[in-house]
Amino acid sequence: MSGFRERAQADIAAGPPSQTLEPILRKLVDDSAARLALGPADARARAEAARAYAVEHLDELHETLQAACARQGIGYHRAATAEDAVALVGELLGDAHRVAKSKSMVAEEVGLTHALRAQGREVLETDIGEYIVDIEGRGPSHITAPAIHLNRSRIRDLLASAGADVPHDDPVLLSQTVRDVVGEFFADVDAGITGANAVVASSGRIVIVENEGNVSLGVSRPRLHIAITGLEKVVADEEAALAVLQVLAPSATAQPLTAYTHFLGEPLPDQERHLVFVDNGRSQILADERYRDALRCIRCGACMNGCPVYTAAGGLAYGSPYMGPIGAVVSPLLWRDGRYADLPSASSLCGRCTEVCPVGIPLHRMLLDLRADGAEEHGSTVERLGWRAWAQAFSGRTGRAASWLGRLGLRTAGRLPLPQRADARQLPEAIPARNPAMLVPLATIETEPAELPGPVEPASLAALFRERAEEVGTIVLDTVPPEPGDRRVRAAAAIAATGSVVLVGDAALRGPVMDARRLVVELDAATIARHPQDIAATLAGDGDALILTGASRTADIEKRIVRGIHGPEALLVELSSTA
Amino acid sequence: MPCYMAALRPADGDHARSVLERLGDDVTTVVGPCCGQPAFNSGYRSEARTVGRALLRASRGHETVVVPSGSCTSMLQHYLPSLWGPRRSKVERFSDRFVEFSAYVAGHPRLATLPLQLEGAVAYHDACHGRRELALTESVIGLLARIEELDVRRLAYEGECCGFGGTFTVKEPEVSLAMAQAKLADVAKTQARVLVSGDLSCLAHLGATARAEGQELETWTLAELLDRALA
Repeated sequence: MSGFRERAQADIAAGPPSQTLEPILRKLVDDSAARLALGPADARARAEAARAYAVEHLDELHETLQAACARQGIGYHRAATAEDAVALVGELLGDAHRVAKSKSMVAEEVGLTHALRAQGREVLETDIGEYIVDIEGRGPSHITAPAIHLNRSRIRDLLASAGADVPHDDPVLLSQTVRDVVGEFFADVDAGITGANAVVASSGRIVIVENEGNVSLGVSRPRLHIAITGLEKVVADEEAALAVLQVLAPSATAQPLTAYTHFLGEPLPDQERHLVFVDNGRSQILADERYRDALRCIRCGACMNGCPVYTAAGGLAYGSPYMGPIGAVVSPLLWRDGRYADLPSASSLCGRCTEVCPVGIPLHRMLLDLRADGAEEHGSTVERLGWRAWAQAFSGRTGRAASWLGRLGLRTAGRLPLPQRADARQLPEAIPARNPAMLVPLATIETEPAELPGPVEPASLAALFRERAEEVGTIVLDTVPPEPGDRRVRAAAAIAATGSVVLVGDAALRGPVMDARRLVVELDAATIARHPQDIAATLAGDGDALILTGASRTADIEKRIVRGIHGPEALLVELSSTA
Repeated sequence: MPCYMAALRPADGDHARSVLERLGDDVTTVVGPCCGQPAFNSGYRSEARTVGRALLRASRGHETVVVPSGSCTSMLQHYLPSLWGPRRSKVERFSDRFVEFSAYVAGHPRLATLPLQLEGAVAYHDACHGRRELALTESVIGLLARIEELDVRRLAYEGECCGFGGTFTVKEPEVSLAMAQAKLADVAKTQARVLVSGDLSCLAHLGATARAEGQELETWTLAELLDRALA
């Protein structure tokens, strides 16, 4: 059976994953930190509190949620195992044949797409990255950027192998090629399957974030929408959901919010909506206080973005739907048959994952606990005896002797060509030779200018909104002359720091929004709030809501931003200072 | 002197001792006991406790035990006591005596009296456990800034691990090597040819990789740097 090491070894030998990943992830880590710094100072603390509360009150919140779902007319279901989840979704789908699926980690976890295809259904991965890795057949290599391991030329080859006409490998062309296949599929579709980033217990609203617009289509075009997610994804109320959203996109993609943030309530009269909660081992994780907090995870992927092991080995080396540090923690806990027993060792314990986690999961400490469990359950007798002998040697009066033995052992081992160890690393000299000339650098480097003061935030919320909205590609005007194909709606509120507009009720109807050539949003400056956390009152009640942060976009190919995927080509805001 | 230092490059222990003596302290060198981290990080906790207990015993009779390694200090302060479960507070009485070398020097009342001077340029590698478990970065940078005529070049991606990780480098040598190469590429960008760090373990790994790759690099512990700056 191949493990992390063998897969990493093979992938590194085939062309180091870091060549593609390192520049992308280093920039992402810096950008994420800068983005979080633009938010409220306590954003992470709020998100952590919201998620910690959910984990500590999971049963209670599910009871509340069940009642809310009954009010909203949303089917509430639970599946104990992966098999149950697949069977349940199959039953809910009934005779639905053409199924549009958007990104869902839980669907990957239970093997949903393959299972539904085995039932004879036509299932299309409608997220651009997922569509690409579906052709490749090795699965996603990152939680939020499934095709991040593939460069543009490899993606072009994959699309060509699937019959697409792709004369060159420009990310714009490649993204639009997939967009068109997906758009055509949506013309005639029976059911949409999505994940859920959070489910609000008090209102029953399903919260989903996306950039491309494929979720917007998937929840509005077909008569049936099924959201599948993990048992832990429930949050208490809208305030808690907003606290999560406030850190989710900044941590994941360095965006303020994703282009579309859905709060889905009651289905339309001709529609059916179901919510499937998957347990599949989560109750067991919840019962163990050492690992319980892993259920706080919001699947932002910040821990893998910042992980040097992930960068060097690539996500596919983990061999699990969940990769990186969070994958190394939850994979052995979700699959207790030992198949991922080696993943907790796939970490240098540098602690960067814990440092960047926006919901305060002590990932590297959990890896240590998992290693101790692993030594008990899967440790070989040889290894155990080896450590016993080591402990003997290093604990007695013979400490000094042990050190000399260790020195001898290490130095000899360092010089021997160990099996499977072709690297030429050698141990240092006991008294290293020093050459004073080495203190002279190869070149002088100009000292960097003192840190410039940060950007000055505009004085008024309206000015801040204008600045941030324009950053995400929204056009802000005093008046927008009408054009054919416009859909004109009024915003219930806006968020200055993220440049977002908030639509509720009929304004949030996704059908007409997605059909419009341009979406024109009328905004009263008096309704602009500062941060996402400040719009909880606007979201009172339990109707549909849609937060728009720029027009649709994708960055699934080499993190290059391509705008205008599904939905209106342009988002325009008509900003007035009177109601 | 941590076990791996005694085995790999005991000269660094001598440098640390020499700096402490120049500060006027009365120093005894405890050579070679292990904090238990290799076993602990591998999941063998009772073995780690057996070894750690011996080190804690060795601290008896000393006011302070200065450890020239952030990684061992982190083990002693954060993890070892937890192995005693509810009796951890009894153990903390001993583990609290252990202080990381650079933190000890930076906080020493007689530090200001030391003439520190060394002409040249060095790159600085911030070891992970010192950085994240002990939050030493700012104090180390402050300490380095005291050395006159020394040009300290920080790495562009200072927060990235070098790939050593103790048993990690043995269990995952390919990934570990790729991480070292990434770190060395950052070191090369500084144009400095002496790399300084608080942890010899990172330096041994990086130095060995540099040699294998033909990159000209000397690796100095903070102890060696300070000792040479005093000479």
